[in-house]
Amino acid sequence: MKPTCPHRFLAPALAIALAGLGGCTAFNPPQPWERGALAKPEMRLDGDPLQQRFDQHVYTSKENASGGYGIGGGGCGCN
Amino acid sequence: MASAEAAVAATDDNTRPSPSGDSRPGSLLAAALLLPGVLPLAAPLLAPLAARAEAAPEQAVIAVKHLDYQDWQPGLKRTRVTAPSAYLLLPLNPQWSLEASAVSDTVSGASPRHHTAVSGASRQTEKRHAGDAKLTHHGERDSWSVGIASSDENDFHSDSLSAGAAWSTADNNRTWNTGIAYTRDRIGATGNPALDERRRTLQVLGGVTQNLSAHDVGQANLSFSLGDGFYSDPYKFPDKRPDTRNQLAAMLRWNHHLPASGATLRSSYRYYADTFGIRAHMVELEWAQPLGQGVRLSPSLRYQTQRAAKFYVDPVYDARLGEPFPPQWTPGTIGSADQRLAGFGALGLGLRLDVDINAHWSADIKLQHYQQRGNWRLGGDDSPGLARFSARWLQLGLSYRF
Repeated sequence: MKPTCPHRFLAPALAIALAGLGGCTAFNPPQPWERGALAKPEMRLDGDPLQQRFDQHVYTSKENASGGYGIGGGGCGCN
Repeated sequence: MASAEAAVAATDDNTRPSPSGDSRPGSLLAAALLLPGVLPLAAPLLAPLAARAEAAPEQAVIAVKHLDYQDWQPGLKRTRVTAPSAYLLLPLNPQWSLEASAVSDTVSGASPRHHTAVSGASRQTEKRHAGDAKLTHHGERDSWSVGIASSDENDFHSDSLSAGAAWSTADNNRTWNTGIAYTRDRIGATGNPALDERRRTLQVLGGVTQNLSAHDVGQANLSFSLGDGFYSDPYKFPDKRPDTRNQLAAMLRWNHHLPASGATLRSSYRYYADTFGIRAHMVELEWAQPLGQGVRLSPSLRYQTQRAAKFYVDPVYDARLGEPFPPQWTPGTIGSADQRLAGFGALGLGLRLDVDINAHWSADIKLQHYQQRGNWRLGGDDSPGLARFSARWLQLGLSYRF
Protein backbone atom coordinates (compact mmCIF):
# COMPACT_ATOMS: atom_id res chain seq x y z
CA MET A 1 0.00 0.00 0.00
CA LYS A 2 1.21 3.46 -0.80
CA PRO A 3 1.51 6.11 1.90
CA THR A 4 -1.54 8.25 2.43
CA CYS A 5 -2.03 10.78 -0.34
CA PRO A 6 -1.15 14.32 0.77
CA HIS A 7 -4.32 15.49 -0.96
CA ARG A 8 -6.45 13.36 1.33
CA PHE A 9 -9.03 16.03 1.81
CA LEU A 10 -9.02 17.44 -1.70
CA ALA A 11 -12.25 15.80 -2.86
CA PRO A 12 -14.25 16.85 0.20
CA ALA A 13 -12.71 20.30 -0.15
CA LEU A 14 -13.91 20.45 -3.74
CA ALA A 15 -17.37 19.54 -2.57
CA ILE A 16 -17.32 22.18 0.12
CA ALA A 17 -16.12 24.71 -2.43
CA LEU A 18 -18.98 23.76 -4.70
CA ALA A 19 -21.45 24.15 -1.87
CA GLY A 20 -19.76 27.42 -1.01
CA LEU A 21 -20.26 28.69 -4.53
CA GLY A 22 -23.91 27.89 -4.14
CA GLY A 23 -23.91 29.57 -0.79
CA CYS A 24 -22.51 32.72 -2.37
CA THR A 25 -25.69 32.94 -4.35
CA ALA A 26 -28.01 35.18 -2.44
CA PHE A 27 -30.97 33.16 -1.24
CA ASN A 28 -33.71 35.17 -2.85
CA PRO A 29 -36.48 32.92 -4.16
CA PRO A 30 -37.94 34.53 -7.27
CA GLN A 31 -41.41 35.84 -7.85
CA PRO A 32 -43.42 34.09 -10.55
CA TRP A 33 -42.56 36.77 -13.13
CA GLU A 34 -38.83 36.39 -12.42
CA ARG A 35 -38.56 32.76 -13.49
CA GLY A 36 -37.76 33.15 -17.17
CA ALA A 37 -34.15 32.01 -16.83
CA LEU A 38 -35.13 29.10 -14.60
CA ALA A 39 -37.47 27.83 -17.32
CA LYS A 40 -34.69 27.36 -19.88
CA PRO A 41 -34.11 23.73 -20.91
CA GLU A 42 -30.47 23.82 -19.82
CA MET A 43 -31.57 24.79 -16.30
CA ARG A 44 -33.44 21.52 -15.86
CA LEU A 45 -31.71 19.44 -13.23
CA ASP A 46 -32.52 16.11 -14.86
CA GLY A 47 -31.37 17.12 -18.35
CA ASP A 48 -31.75 14.76 -21.30
CA PRO A 49 -33.43 11.58 -19.96
CA LEU A 50 -31.88 9.18 -22.47
CA GLN A 51 -28.41 10.65 -22.03
CA GLN A 52 -28.77 10.41 -18.27
CA ARG A 53 -29.79 6.74 -18.56
CA PHE A 54 -26.81 5.97 -20.82
CA ASP A 55 -24.26 7.85 -18.75
CA GLN A 56 -25.40 6.44 -15.43
CA HIS A 57 -25.49 2.94 -16.88
CA VAL A 58 -21.87 3.27 -17.99
CA TYR A 59 -20.70 4.71 -14.68
CA THR A 60 -22.49 2.16 -12.50
CA SER A 61 -21.01 -0.67 -14.59
CA LYS A 62 -17.45 0.68 -14.37
CA GLU A 63 -17.42 2.17 -10.87
CA ASN A 64 -19.05 1.11 -7.66
CA ALA A 65 -20.88 4.23 -6.64
CA SER A 66 -24.44 4.82 -7.72
CA GLY A 67 -27.64 6.48 -6.58
CA GLY A 68 -28.75 9.98 -5.71
CA TYR A 69 -30.34 10.80 -9.06
CA GLY A 70 -33.61 8.94 -8.74
CA ILE A 71 -35.10 5.57 -8.00
CA GLY A 72 -36.23 2.55 -9.96
CA GLY A 73 -34.80 1.36 -13.24
CA GLY A 74 -33.93 -2.17 -14.17
CA GLY A 75 -30.70 -3.71 -12.96
CA CYS A 76 -27.93 -4.99 -15.16
CA GLY A 77 -25.73 -8.05 -15.10
CA CYS A 78 -22.80 -5.78 -15.95
CA ASN A 79 -22.41 -4.77 -12.31
CA MET B 1 -35.11 5.21 -14.28
CA ALA B 2 -37.95 6.95 -12.57
CA SER B 3 -36.55 10.33 -11.81
CA ALA B 4 -37.12 11.53 -8.30
CA GLU B 5 -36.61 15.05 -9.44
CA ALA B 6 -39.79 16.91 -8.79
CA ALA B 7 -40.41 19.66 -11.27
CA VAL B 8 -40.52 22.99 -9.64
CA ALA B 9 -42.88 25.16 -11.62
CA ALA B 10 -40.14 27.48 -12.67
CA THR B 11 -38.15 24.72 -14.29
CA ASP B 12 -40.93 23.61 -16.59
CA ASP B 13 -39.78 23.97 -20.16
CA ASN B 14 -42.10 26.66 -21.42
CA THR B 15 -39.58 28.68 -23.36
CA ARG B 16 -39.80 26.75 -26.62
CA PRO B 17 -42.16 28.11 -29.24
CA SER B 18 -45.39 26.20 -29.57
CA PRO B 19 -45.58 23.77 -32.49
CA SER B 20 -48.17 25.94 -34.22
CA GLY B 21 -45.88 28.89 -34.01
CA ASP B 22 -48.50 30.82 -32.05
CA SER B 23 -47.76 32.26 -28.69
CA ARG B 24 -49.52 30.43 -25.93
CA PRO B 25 -51.87 32.44 -23.70
CA GLY B 26 -49.47 32.14 -20.82
CA SER B 27 -46.63 33.53 -22.93
CA LEU B 28 -48.75 36.46 -24.10
CA LEU B 29 -49.69 37.29 -20.57
CA ALA B 30 -46.11 36.97 -19.42
CA ALA B 31 -45.00 39.31 -22.21
CA ALA B 32 -47.65 41.84 -21.28
CA LEU B 33 -46.55 41.68 -17.69
CA LEU B 34 -43.06 42.74 -18.68
CA LEU B 35 -44.40 46.24 -19.29
CA PRO B 36 -43.06 48.64 -16.65
CA GLY B 37 -45.30 49.00 -13.66
CA VAL B 38 -47.55 46.15 -14.61
CA LEU B 39 -45.82 43.33 -12.80
CA PRO B 40 -46.60 44.11 -9.17
CA LEU B 41 -50.19 44.91 -9.99
CA ALA B 42 -50.60 41.75 -11.98
CA ALA B 43 -49.15 39.34 -9.45
CA PRO B 44 -52.56 38.02 -8.38
CA LEU B 45 -53.37 37.35 -12.06
CA LEU B 46 -50.12 35.49 -12.60
CA ALA B 47 -50.39 33.40 -9.47
CA PRO B 48 -52.86 30.90 -10.93
CA LEU B 49 -50.44 30.26 -13.81
CA ALA B 50 -47.70 29.41 -11.39
CA ALA B 51 -49.82 27.49 -8.95
CA ARG B 52 -49.71 24.23 -10.93
CA ALA B 53 -46.33 23.25 -9.60
CA GLU B 54 -46.82 19.66 -10.73
CA ALA B 55 -48.73 20.41 -13.92
CA ALA B 56 -48.57 17.78 -16.62
CA PRO B 57 -46.15 18.54 -19.45
CA GLU B 58 -47.75 20.66 -22.17
CA GLN B 59 -46.05 18.89 -25.07
CA ALA B 60 -45.44 15.29 -25.96
CA VAL B 61 -41.87 14.22 -26.69
CA ILE B 62 -40.62 11.32 -28.77
CA ALA B 63 -36.85 10.89 -28.78
CA VAL B 64 -34.43 8.32 -30.13
CA LYS B 65 -30.77 7.99 -29.33
CA HIS B 66 -27.95 5.74 -30.42
CA LEU B 67 -24.99 4.89 -28.21
CA ASP B 68 -21.69 3.56 -29.46
CA TYR B 69 -19.35 2.60 -26.60
CA GLN B 70 -15.84 1.16 -26.61
CA ASP B 71 -13.46 0.56 -23.71
CA TRP B 72 -9.91 -0.67 -23.69
CA GLN B 73 -6.79 -1.29 -21.64
CA PRO B 74 -3.21 -1.18 -22.84
CA GLY B 75 -2.85 -3.90 -25.45
CA LEU B 76 -6.48 -4.94 -25.58
CA LYS B 77 -9.78 -3.52 -26.78
CA ARG B 78 -12.22 -4.91 -24.27
CA THR B 79 -15.93 -4.17 -24.59
CA ARG B 80 -17.94 -2.64 -27.43
CA VAL B 81 -21.59 -1.72 -26.90
CA THR B 82 -24.09 -0.44 -29.41
CA ALA B 83 -27.42 0.58 -27.96
CA PRO B 84 -30.34 2.15 -29.79
CA SER B 85 -32.96 3.55 -27.44
CA ALA B 86 -36.27 5.39 -27.53
CA TYR B 87 -38.08 7.68 -25.12
CA LEU B 88 -41.69 8.84 -24.91
CA LEU B 89 -43.27 11.54 -22.76
CA LEU B 90 -47.00 11.75 -23.32
CA PRO B 91 -49.42 14.11 -21.54
CA LEU B 92 -52.68 12.15 -21.42
CA ASN B 93 -54.74 15.06 -20.06
CA PRO B 94 -54.11 17.92 -17.59
CA GLN B 95 -53.91 15.45 -14.69
CA TRP B 96 -52.05 12.48 -16.13
CA SER B 97 -48.86 11.85 -18.06
CA LEU B 98 -46.97 8.77 -19.21
CA GLU B 99 -43.21 8.44 -19.56
CA ALA B 100 -41.50 5.38 -21.02
CA SER B 101 -38.20 4.30 -22.50
CA ALA B 102 -36.69 1.20 -24.07
CA VAL B 103 -33.14 0.21 -24.95
CA SER B 104 -31.50 -2.75 -26.65
CA ASP B 105 -27.80 -3.30 -25.95
CA THR B 106 -25.48 -5.47 -27.96
CA VAL B 107 -22.31 -6.13 -25.98
CA SER B 108 -19.27 -7.77 -27.48
CA GLY B 109 -15.63 -8.09 -26.51
CA ALA B 110 -13.54 -9.32 -23.63
CA SER B 111 -14.01 -9.12 -19.91
CA PRO B 112 -11.15 -9.51 -17.43
CA ARG B 113 -11.26 -12.52 -15.12
CA HIS B 114 -9.10 -11.03 -12.43
CA HIS B 115 -7.41 -7.70 -12.03
CA THR B 116 -6.47 -6.64 -15.51
CA ALA B 117 -4.92 -9.83 -16.80
CA VAL B 118 -5.27 -9.94 -20.56
CA SER B 119 -4.55 -13.67 -20.57
CA GLY B 120 -7.60 -14.34 -18.46
CA ALA B 121 -10.01 -12.41 -20.60
CA SER B 122 -13.00 -14.26 -22.04
CA ARG B 123 -14.74 -13.32 -25.28
CA GLN B 124 -18.42 -12.63 -25.17
CA THR B 125 -21.35 -11.40 -27.26
CA GLU B 126 -24.58 -10.67 -25.45
CA LYS B 127 -27.81 -8.81 -25.88
CA ARG B 128 -29.76 -6.93 -23.25
CA HIS B 129 -33.27 -5.54 -23.57
CA ALA B 130 -34.56 -3.11 -20.99
CA GLY B 131 -37.55 -0.84 -20.61
CA ASP B 132 -39.34 1.29 -18.09
CA ALA B 133 -42.63 3.14 -17.79
CA LYS B 134 -43.96 5.67 -15.32
CA LEU B 135 -47.50 6.97 -14.89
CA THR B 136 -47.83 10.29 -13.09
CA HIS B 137 -50.85 12.05 -11.64
CA HIS B 138 -50.47 15.83 -11.46
CA GLY B 139 -52.37 17.76 -8.80
CA GLU B 140 -52.47 21.44 -7.92
CA ARG B 141 -49.36 21.35 -5.74
CA ASP B 142 -48.53 17.70 -5.68
CA SER B 143 -47.90 14.75 -7.90
CA TRP B 144 -47.52 11.05 -7.44
CA SER B 145 -46.31 8.35 -9.75
CA VAL B 146 -45.92 4.62 -10.12
CA GLY B 147 -43.34 2.98 -12.31
CA ILE B 148 -42.11 -0.37 -13.54
CA ALA B 149 -38.81 -1.35 -15.09
CA SER B 150 -37.42 -4.56 -16.48
CA SER B 151 -34.09 -5.68 -17.89
CA ASP B 152 -33.37 -9.00 -19.52
CA GLU B 153 -30.25 -10.72 -20.82
CA ASN B 154 -29.32 -14.37 -21.21
CA ASP B 155 -27.73 -14.65 -17.75
CA PHE B 156 -29.51 -11.91 -15.82
CA HIS B 157 -33.06 -10.69 -15.31
CA SER B 158 -34.25 -7.75 -13.25
CA ASP B 159 -37.70 -6.39 -12.41
CA SER B 160 -38.40 -3.23 -10.48
CA LEU B 161 -41.46 -1.46 -9.06
CA SER B 162 -41.31 2.13 -7.89
CA ALA B 163 -43.55 4.85 -6.49
CA GLY B 164 -42.89 8.52 -5.93
CA ALA B 165 -44.58 11.64 -4.63
CA ALA B 166 -43.78 15.37 -4.65
CA TRP B 167 -45.22 18.42 -2.95
CA SER B 168 -44.61 22.08 -3.73
CA THR B 169 -44.83 25.05 -1.40
CA ALA B 170 -47.40 27.77 -2.01
CA ASP B 171 -44.90 30.00 -3.80
CA ASN B 172 -43.79 27.11 -6.02
CA ASN B 173 -40.15 27.78 -5.20
CA ARG B 174 -39.60 24.58 -3.24
CA THR B 175 -40.58 21.00 -3.99
CA TRP B 176 -40.14 18.09 -1.62
CA ASN B 177 -39.87 14.70 -3.23
CA THR B 178 -39.73 11.13 -2.03
CA GLY B 179 -39.69 7.73 -3.64
CA ILE B 180 -39.40 4.03 -2.98
CA ALA B 181 -38.40 1.17 -5.27
CA TYR B 182 -38.14 -2.59 -4.96
CA THR B 183 -35.95 -4.55 -7.37
CA ARG B 184 -35.66 -8.30 -7.79
CA ASP B 185 -32.76 -9.75 -9.76
CA ARG B 186 -32.18 -13.29 -10.98
CA ILE B 187 -28.58 -14.18 -11.77
CA GLY B 188 -27.33 -17.05 -13.91
CA ALA B 189 -24.15 -17.76 -15.85
CA THR B 190 -23.52 -18.78 -19.42
CA GLY B 191 -21.97 -22.23 -19.40
CA ASN B 192 -23.18 -22.98 -15.86
CA PRO B 193 -26.89 -23.81 -15.98
CA ALA B 194 -26.80 -24.86 -12.33
CA LEU B 195 -26.27 -21.28 -11.21
CA ASP B 196 -29.62 -19.72 -10.31
CA GLU B 197 -29.22 -17.01 -7.70
CA ARG B 198 -31.38 -14.14 -6.44
CA ARG B 199 -30.86 -10.59 -5.23
CA ARG B 200 -33.39 -8.16 -3.76
CA THR B 201 -32.97 -4.45 -3.24
CA LEU B 202 -35.15 -1.90 -1.50
CA GLN B 203 -34.34 1.72 -2.25
CA VAL B 204 -35.77 4.88 -0.69
CA LEU B 205 -35.04 8.45 -1.65
CA GLY B 206 -35.94 11.86 -0.24
CA GLY B 207 -34.99 15.27 -1.51
CA VAL B 208 -35.77 18.89 -1.99
CA THR B 209 -35.53 21.14 -5.06
CA GLN B 210 -35.30 24.87 -4.39
CA ASN B 211 -35.33 27.95 -6.60
CA LEU B 212 -32.52 29.85 -4.88
CA SER B 213 -32.84 33.00 -6.96
CA ALA B 214 -34.03 34.13 -10.38
CA HIS B 215 -30.87 32.50 -11.80
CA ASP B 216 -30.17 29.58 -9.48
CA VAL B 217 -31.85 26.29 -8.77
CA GLY B 218 -30.49 23.69 -6.36
CA GLN B 219 -31.34 20.20 -5.29
CA ALA B 220 -30.36 17.89 -2.44
CA ASN B 221 -31.19 14.18 -2.57
CA LEU B 222 -30.45 11.44 -0.09
CA SER B 223 -30.97 7.80 -1.05
CA PHE B 224 -30.59 4.56 0.90
CA SER B 225 -30.49 1.13 -0.60
CA LEU B 226 -30.79 -2.14 1.31
CA GLY B 227 -29.82 -5.23 -0.65
CA ASP B 228 -29.36 -8.90 0.03
CA GLY B 229 -28.59 -11.89 -2.13
CA PHE B 230 -25.91 -12.87 -4.61
CA TYR B 231 -23.28 -10.20 -5.30
CA SER B 232 -20.38 -12.35 -6.48
CA ASP B 233 -19.30 -12.32 -10.12
CA PRO B 234 -19.98 -15.76 -11.62
CA TYR B 235 -17.40 -15.13 -14.36
CA LYS B 236 -14.50 -14.46 -12.02
CA PHE B 237 -12.63 -16.96 -9.89
CA PRO B 238 -11.93 -16.75 -7.09
CA ASP B 239 -14.65 -14.19 -6.36
CA LYS B 240 -16.88 -14.28 -3.30
CA ARG B 241 -18.58 -11.21 -1.90
CA PRO B 242 -20.80 -10.53 1.11
CA ASP B 243 -24.47 -11.39 0.63
CA THR B 244 -25.76 -8.06 1.90
CA ARG B 245 -25.01 -4.61 0.63
CA ASN B 246 -26.43 -1.36 1.99
CA GLN B 247 -25.71 1.86 0.13
CA LEU B 248 -26.02 5.55 0.86
CA ALA B 249 -25.79 8.36 -1.68
CA ALA B 250 -26.03 12.07 -0.96
CA MET B 251 -26.38 14.23 -4.05
CA LEU B 252 -26.16 18.01 -4.37
CA ARG B 253 -26.96 19.72 -7.67
CA TRP B 254 -26.84 23.38 -8.52
CA ASN B 255 -27.55 25.13 -11.82
CA HIS B 256 -26.60 28.77 -12.30
CA HIS B 257 -27.63 30.92 -15.27
CA LEU B 258 -25.47 33.87 -16.33
CA PRO B 259 -27.71 36.48 -17.96
CA ALA B 260 -24.83 38.41 -19.56
CA SER B 261 -23.63 35.51 -21.70
CA GLY B 262 -26.75 33.39 -21.67
CA ALA B 263 -24.63 30.48 -20.46
CA THR B 264 -25.54 28.01 -17.74
CA LEU B 265 -23.22 26.27 -15.29
CA ARG B 266 -24.55 22.88 -14.23
CA SER B 267 -22.80 21.32 -11.26
CA SER B 268 -23.23 18.32 -9.01
CA TYR B 269 -21.49 16.54 -6.17
CA ARG B 270 -22.20 13.08 -4.77
CA TYR B 271 -20.92 11.33 -1.69
CA TYR B 272 -21.33 7.56 -1.68
CA ALA B 273 -20.76 4.92 1.01
CA ASP B 274 -21.67 1.25 1.25
CA THR B 275 -21.19 -1.72 3.53
CA PHE B 276 -18.61 -3.19 1.15
CA GLY B 277 -16.38 -0.45 2.54
CA ILE B 278 -16.37 1.70 -0.59
CA ARG B 279 -16.40 5.46 -0.15
CA ALA B 280 -16.57 7.69 -3.20
CA HIS B 281 -16.77 11.36 -4.11
CA MET B 282 -17.94 12.59 -7.49
CA VAL B 283 -17.89 16.12 -8.89
CA GLU B 284 -19.33 17.04 -12.28
CA LEU B 285 -19.38 20.39 -14.05
CA GLU B 286 -21.01 21.28 -17.35
CA TRP B 287 -21.00 24.62 -19.13
CA ALA B 288 -23.91 25.13 -21.57
CA GLN B 289 -23.08 27.96 -23.96
CA PRO B 290 -25.65 29.19 -26.53
CA LEU B 291 -24.05 29.97 -29.87
CA GLY B 292 -27.11 31.47 -31.52
CA GLN B 293 -29.56 30.09 -34.12
CA GLY B 294 -30.74 27.45 -31.61
CA VAL B 295 -27.27 25.93 -31.25
CA ARG B 296 -25.78 25.16 -27.83
CA LEU B 297 -22.34 23.74 -27.01
CA SER B 298 -21.78 22.09 -23.64
CA PRO B 299 -18.33 20.93 -22.52
CA SER B 300 -18.27 18.93 -19.30
CA LEU B 301 -15.81 17.59 -16.74
CA ARG B 302 -16.37 14.73 -14.29
CA TYR B 303 -14.10 13.39 -11.58
CA GLN B 304 -14.67 10.47 -9.24
CA THR B 305 -12.43 9.01 -6.57
CA GLN B 306 -13.23 5.80 -4.73
CA ARG B 307 -11.77 3.80 -1.88
CA ALA B 308 -11.34 0.06 -2.41
CA ALA B 309 -13.82 -2.42 -0.98
CA LYS B 310 -12.55 -3.93 2.27
CA PHE B 311 -12.44 -7.40 0.64
CA TYR B 312 -10.73 -6.27 -2.56
CA VAL B 313 -7.46 -8.16 -3.00
CA ASP B 314 -4.36 -6.62 -4.53
CA PRO B 315 -2.44 -8.61 -7.18
CA VAL B 316 -0.30 -10.41 -4.61
CA TYR B 317 -0.68 -14.16 -4.82
CA ASP B 318 -0.40 -17.13 -2.53
CA ALA B 319 3.12 -18.56 -2.62
CA ARG B 320 1.84 -22.11 -2.85
CA LEU B 321 -1.26 -21.75 -5.04
CA GLY B 322 0.03 -18.94 -7.24
CA GLU B 323 -2.01 -16.64 -9.46
CA PRO B 324 -4.91 -15.79 -9.13
CA PHE B 325 -5.26 -16.94 -5.52
CA PRO B 326 -4.58 -14.34 -2.82
CA PRO B 327 -2.41 -15.26 0.18
CA GLN B 328 -3.99 -17.71 2.62
CA TRP B 329 -6.89 -18.32 0.27
CA THR B 330 -9.25 -21.15 1.16
CA PRO B 331 -12.57 -22.04 -0.49
CA GLY B 332 -15.30 -19.74 0.79
CA THR B 333 -12.97 -16.88 1.59
CA ILE B 334 -14.60 -13.49 1.01
CA GLY B 335 -12.51 -11.68 -1.57
CA SER B 336 -12.57 -10.26 -5.07
CA ALA B 337 -10.01 -8.97 -7.55
CA ASP B 338 -12.62 -7.08 -9.57
CA GLN B 339 -10.99 -3.85 -10.73
CA ARG B 340 -14.26 -1.99 -10.14
CA LEU B 341 -13.91 -2.69 -6.42
CA ALA B 342 -10.39 -1.24 -6.35
CA GLY B 343 -9.26 2.19 -5.18
CA PHE B 344 -8.83 4.53 -8.13
CA GLY B 345 -9.66 7.91 -9.59
CA ALA B 346 -11.56 8.49 -12.82
CA LEU B 347 -11.69 11.51 -15.07
CA GLY B 348 -14.26 12.16 -17.76
CA LEU B 349 -14.35 14.84 -20.45
CA GLY B 350 -17.44 15.43 -22.53
CA LEU B 351 -18.64 17.67 -25.33
CA ARG B 352 -22.28 17.95 -26.34
CA LEU B 353 -23.84 19.89 -29.20
CA ASP B 354 -27.57 20.67 -29.25
CA VAL B 355 -29.34 22.03 -32.32
CA ASP B 356 -32.97 23.17 -32.27
CA ILE B 357 -33.90 22.57 -35.89
CA ASN B 358 -37.37 24.10 -35.61
CA ALA B 359 -40.24 24.23 -33.14
CA HIS B 360 -40.74 20.46 -33.41
CA TRP B 361 -37.35 18.92 -34.04
CA SER B 362 -34.05 19.02 -32.21
CA ALA B 363 -30.86 17.00 -32.51
CA ASP B 364 -27.91 16.37 -30.23
CA ILE B 365 -24.54 14.68 -30.31
CA LYS B 366 -22.28 13.97 -27.35
CA LEU B 367 -18.77 12.56 -27.21
CA GLN B 368 -17.42 11.40 -23.86
CA HIS B 369 -13.91 10.25 -23.00
CA TYR B 370 -13.27 8.47 -19.71
CA GLN B 371 -10.22 7.07 -17.96
CA GLN B 372 -9.48 5.30 -14.66
CA ARG B 373 -6.06 5.22 -13.05
CA GLY B 374 -5.03 3.96 -9.66
CA ASN B 375 -2.80 6.97 -8.98
CA TRP B 376 -5.63 9.40 -9.77
CA ARG B 377 -7.23 8.42 -6.48
CA LEU B 378 -7.43 11.42 -4.13
CA GLY B 379 -8.15 11.31 -0.45
CA GLY B 380 -6.45 8.00 0.38
CA ASP B 381 -4.56 4.94 -0.85
CA ASP B 382 -4.95 3.71 -4.36
CA SER B 383 -4.82 0.07 -5.42
CA PRO B 384 -1.45 -0.91 -6.88
CA GLY B 385 -1.02 -2.84 -10.09
CA LEU B 386 -4.09 -1.61 -11.95
CA ALA B 387 -3.79 -1.21 -15.68
CA ARG B 388 -5.11 2.07 -17.05
CA PHE B 389 -8.73 1.69 -18.14
CA SER B 390 -10.16 3.93 -20.86
CA ALA B 391 -13.53 4.29 -22.53
CA ARG B 392 -15.07 6.49 -25.18
CA TRP B 393 -18.72 6.74 -26.10
CA LEU B 394 -20.70 8.66 -28.66
CA GLN B 395 -24.40 9.47 -28.43
CA LEU B 396 -26.51 10.67 -31.35
CA GLY B 397 -30.01 11.85 -30.57
CA LEU B 398 -33.09 13.21 -32.30
CA SER B 399 -36.28 14.37 -30.63
CA TYR B 400 -39.69 15.54 -31.77
CA ARG B 401 -42.10 17.68 -29.73
CA PHE B 402 -45.76 18.08 -30.54
